Amino acid sequence: MIEIRHVSKSYNKGKVKAVDDLDLTVRPGEIFGFLGPNGAGKTTTIKMIVGLLKPDAGAIVLNGLDTRTDALACKAMTTYVPDYPAVYERLTGLEYLNFIGDVYGVPKAARLERIEKWLEIFELTSAVGSPIQSYSHGMKQKIVLTAALLPAPRVMVLDEPMVGLDPRSAHHLKEIMREHCDQGGTLFFSTHVMEVAEKLCDRIGIISKGKLIACGTMDELKALDRGAGPTLENIFLELTDK
Amino acid sequence: MSRLGSLLRANLKSNFGVSVLVHRFFREKKDRWYLPLVALGVLGLLPALYGYLRFIRFVFELLQPLGQERTLLTFAILLGQFLVLIFGLYYVVSAFYFSRDLEMLIPLPFKPFEVMLSKFAVILVNEYLTMIAFVVPVFVYYGILSKAGPAYWISASIVYLLLPVIPLALVSLLVVGMMRAVNFSRKKDLMILVGSLVLVCAGMGLQFFINRTAAAKVDYQAMTGFFTSPNSLLTKIGAGFPPAVWATKALAGAFGGEGLAGLGIYLGVSLLLFAGMLLAAQTLFYRGLIGIGEISGRRKALSRSEMSRRIEGGRHPVKAVLGREWRIMNRTPIFLLNGVLTVIVIPLVFLLMARVGTGNATSFLRAIAAGTGLTGILGAAAFMIVSGCLNGTASSTFSREGSQFWMSKVLPIAPRDQVIAKFIHSYGIAVLGFAAGTAVLVLGLGLKAGPLIVAWILALVAGVALTAVGMIIDLARPFLDWTNPQKAIKQNLNVLFAFFADFGVLAIVGALAYVLAKAGVGGRGLLAFLFATLALASFVSVRYLLAFAERRYREIEI
Repeated sequence: MIEIRHVSKSYNKGKVKAVDDLDLTVRPGEIFGFLGPNGAGKTTTIKMIVGLLKPDAGAIVLNGLDTRTDALACKAMTTYVPDYPAVYERLTGLEYLNFIGDVYGVPKAARLERIEKWLEIFELTSAVGSPIQSYSHGMKQKIVLTAALLPAPRVMVLDEPMVGLDPRSAHHLKEIMREHCDQGGTLFFSTHVMEVAEKLCDRIGIISKGKLIACGTMDELKALDRGAGPTLENIFLELTDK
Repeated sequence: MSRLGSLLRANLKSNFGVSVLVHRFFREKKDRWYLPLVALGVLGLLPALYGYLRFIRFVFELLQPLGQERTLLTFAILLGQFLVLIFGLYYVVSAFYFSRDLEMLIPLPFKPFEVMLSKFAVILVNEYLTMIAFVVPVFVYYGILSKAGPAYWISASIVYLLLPVIPLALVSLLVVGMMRAVNFSRKKDLMILVGSLVLVCAGMGLQFFINRTAAAKVDYQAMTGFFTSPNSLLTKIGAGFPPAVWATKALAGAFGGEGLAGLGIYLGVSLLLFAGMLLAAQTLFYRGLIGIGEISGRRKALSRSEMSRRIEGGRHPVKAVLGREWRIMNRTPIFLLNGVLTVIVIPLVFLLMARVGTGNATSFLRAIAAGTGLTGILGAAAFMIVSGCLNGTASSTFSREGSQFWMSKVLPIAPRDQVIAKFIHSYGIAVLGFAAGTAVLVLGLGLKAGPLIVAWILALVAGVALTAVGMIIDLARPFLDWTNPQKAIKQNLNVLFAFFADFGVLAIVGALAYVLAKAGVGGRGLLAFLFATLALASFVSVRYLLAFAERRYREIEI
């Protein structure tokens, strides 16, 4: 479970309010899609959840643990995929996965089983022995996703995870996301692809200028009925057109 | 502004981070403390500048009665151009072929020579900055001492601006040609490493010849010989590399007949080479670039048994981070050169100087070898510390992570564990330097085991403090937004600040020991004092580093 309690974050000594009193909860077993225009505060929110940024106010609680006071325990249950796969390019894919396995304490047997499984799904088996610097953007994204899945985390936070993926890998990722939540995990992800959010998410939040302007299931969002139209795209355009 | 003008402007601004600095200092009003610190660093260099000016005056007054004072200008010009060559190869290879913005620039509607020119401009500015401390003092002080007129100052400005053009154009032609002829780009790491080692060897070779040319003592005769003897290195290089002579004539002759002729030839050749370089860029540059992003070697799927063998299990996070640090450092040529290779090369340079030449370094080493008791021990310890600790490993340990620092922030490894792993890595390289220094002291100078053991103890203790201090400095303000690994060390002020801090720590400890020695404390007492002081400094700095890490890891936002 992810609880974001009245979180605010500003830049430039308070002049730019990136996230303004954000308050929302993502329940276990739920895929939560986070939408918003560029610069709305999506990545800032995500970075605060995973500990890359410090909130100015408010608290973030993961499965009952406060990220400020139990930072390490929160990190141990969470994995994160950034919007750009900046990984250790000088390591081979396998060295990188071993490193992740070590820091999350994944035992060897589980590590072997999971690495083989994800590498096969993402078609990375033949590349895993090569340095990551030789990978394409999509391959880097897939090795980061494999690393994020390796510890079998309870909470996954993904920032635009579909970017750079080929259609087959994107399809697999959606299945994996569903499977993760069906097993009781929590998943928070941002995207600009409305169709993906509409079909995949249990609930959707829309942020604009740092404020959460809508949050709920697809049906709940449709029920807002401002005459926007039946699709998420229509709703999004209507809500953010201010 | 023209298209090319915009490209040049954007590249210069992006490379020197002008826009970022303006934004940070004047919009966000952050990091303003940085400016006085930089000013302080510059002030710290004033004594060295004073020493250099005295040297210039000494040589000028030595050569003037012989009518040879202009050789001083040849010396400065050659020194400047040698520096351009040394740094130029690094800059050219990394800027022309391995900048990350090339992927963005190539698809834009620019001609190949325009893209290369924009990179060349950045290198040129870097070279002006590199030469400023060595060449400008000679040009300016020479002008003052010779009471030169306005013509000299105009010539000096032109010559200074042209100074890097010939060597840089030559290096660029060589690199662009080589990249086209052999697709080195697939072996770029090897190329940077081999190229750098060749340059280090060239530097050592030059040092070797300078030492041989200069006589046993730095006296008037030797100095005069170095600058004026027909067989001296300076004269030989000057004769073999005429641009230095043309530039000297342009400067010394001001706007007279000889001066104008020299300036004309110098300007002409510079422009000719520059044009040749642009021509080569237009035809060869992009062809050499093709393949930059390609995968080196064939990929082979790992068999199940091999995968099982290579998948590890159960390493402690400290060990995992240490393995990561070690691999990334040694697989990134620029990092490798500044870490493991530096701690081996520094003692070798000293050994070479001790074997063949004169100078302060040599007399220092010989004093250690000849020294008995306390002098030998302290000298050996100092030498080992210089060999092992004066590199950028500790003071760039966080900066080297660059944009990948996000992983250190989100992974479930306590900052304390990460810092311990980084400390072990940096300290390990320092100890490697102590070992290399010891090899030189034993094999080259025949130092005995007794003083060596005590020196080792002192170096090991001092190494802890200096490594921790370097790491603290880097952690206080890590330089994470670099686009080229070279910047993480070479353009990282933390490395410079750490040098000053290291010298500061050693100077304070040394001064205290000196006071005690003057007060009549004996050798053993002094050694005990040094050991205790360094051990205390080590304890305090490591404790502080660990506590600081817990706080800073939370504070650093990326």
